[in-house]
Amino acid sequence: MAEMHNQFVLRDPQLFYWILFPISGVMVLTGVLRHYAAVLMHSDPQKHDMKAIREQCNLLQGINLRQNFNQIPFHSFIVRKNYLVSAYRRGAYLKDPDAVGQPASNPMSDPAGMEQMMSILKGNMAMIIPQTMIMGWINAFFSGFVIMKLPFPLTIPFKSMLQSGVATRDLDVRWVSSLSWYFLNLFGLRVIFNYLLGSDNSAADQMTTQIHQTTPICGANMFAPGQDSNKMYLAEAENLEVATGQHEWVLIEVEYRLLVLQSVCA
Amino acid sequence: MSYLASHPQPLKQPSSSLHLAKYAPLFLDSSEATRDTQETWFLYEQLLLASLRCEDDKSAQLCLQRLGDRFGVDSPRVRALAGLYDEATATSRPALEGILKRYSALLRDDPTNMPIEKRRITLLQSLGKPDEAITALTKLLEHSPTDAESWSHLAALYRSQGLYAQSIFCLEECLLVYPNAYNIHARLGETTYISAANNDSETLAEAARYFCRSVELCDWYLRGWYGLRLVTDRMLANCSGKGMPTKIVEGLNAKATEKLAEIVRRASSGEDGWQGFDAGELEAAKELIAQQSIVR
Repeated sequence: MAEMHNQFVLRDPQLFYWILFPISGVMVLTGVLRHYAAVLMHSDPQKHDMKAIREQCNLLQGINLRQNFNQIPFHSFIVRKNYLVSAYRRGAYLKDPDAVGQPASNPMSDPAGMEQMMSILKGNMAMIIPQTMIMGWINAFFSGFVIMKLPFPLTIPFKSMLQSGVATRDLDVRWVSSLSWYFLNLFGLRVIFNYLLGSDNSAADQMTTQIHQTTPICGANMFAPGQDSNKMYLAEAENLEVATGQHEWVLIEVEYRLLVLQSVCA
Repeated sequence: MSYLASHPQPLKQPSSSLHLAKYAPLFLDSSEATRDTQETWFLYEQLLLASLRCEDDKSAQLCLQRLGDRFGVDSPRVRALAGLYDEATATSRPALEGILKRYSALLRDDPTNMPIEKRRITLLQSLGKPDEAITALTKLLEHSPTDAESWSHLAALYRSQGLYAQSIFCLEECLLVYPNAYNIHARLGETTYISAANNDSETLAEAARYFCRSVELCDWYLRGWYGLRLVTDRMLANCSGKGMPTKIVEGLNAKATEKLAEIVRRASSGEDGWQGFDAGELEAAKELIAQQSIVR
């Protein structure tokens, strides 16, 4: 094991110019290209028709009522709760009252869902294709040698991934080939992209898919394709019924709280 | 832009509107106006509104034109701004009615056009048709019940018609969307105070509690303390302990007076961090403190 600590590989000083900079440069350029391609391919936020907006917003109102009911007096809350629960149960706000009981709409058939799926798919494609191409290019041109030593130790299984072209048994895993430089760049260039393209660029590698905010009026689109809105309404009605027992009007005893607070702070 | 940062609601006061309107011609000629950032376009919108307020129609027209060029004349928001411009520069009532017809036609084509819907409601209100405005607002709220702006507009309309119970309902809906909005709590207090007929102690106590909540949420809220002082004065004069124990009412009264005095003193002496208060509100507070507080 002692040999592992003292391994030293003599590297060509021209390494920097011929390998590190080109790989980083190519990645930055493809990232910028990807960002502008995304901007050009960006389709307008889809317009929801009136019924869809109505469906979403009324459910949001039920949720708001449940979350913030302490702000209004008990009798107001009861009035609203009764109204909303009865409306939800009879399906007053449903976009498509005939679809009650049928299985949730297939994203393939629902045009709204289709749009969303396409945009997510486009984003993924835009990410995968350049990545695959660059990896292929690196494997073709930059294989067969190690270029740098990682400052932290790794376990043996990483050898096959990071030392792809160099098949030695004794070489420390810390010596890695150019493919690992590619991986390092993949995660590290986000900062550079933020600097060059502003913070909401589409070039940084986004591991989390983004669900577009397509309704300017009602906020996040909870009714992603495949959700049964009637079930959601019924669930919300149940929640409201349950929540009734926990109502505590925030104005009760507020004058005492205020006097205590003021006397403490004064 | 820095002006807008320090005065986030420039159109609320005439002085800041005037300041913005004076700046408009300079801005429109400069190269800053050609930048394509979100802030620039936001600034355009504010300048448009400020110029209309100060009767600078030329700058307003130019702002509108550029907004239309950038975003297309069909964009709902640009259409609404164009409608606003036409309303402001209309010279006769038939012209306004014509604009109203235009809005109705647009809404028939595209019922989801929220900005135009809202413009139509305000136009109905300025044409002196509050009942139609209320009907249109309720229709809007049917499909967008989480829009706090519309709820508070409806509350104002009801209040202007004297329908205080409905007004309070609408303000409560605003609270459901923004539970910590201390200004809505103060508004509720004010509406409850106004609606308290015959010095009904329960209602006055409720009004006092709304004001307490608003100052609990925001310690330096001048309007909240002012309202609290007013309500407690009325309670001490009329209620004799019903609704809320007299000791508590006196305590609140004293606290409100003390806080008002502190705010007035600090704002008048120009202390750092106490400069945001509206001059008119400070004057009113001074007058209120000067009145002798009722001691029972």
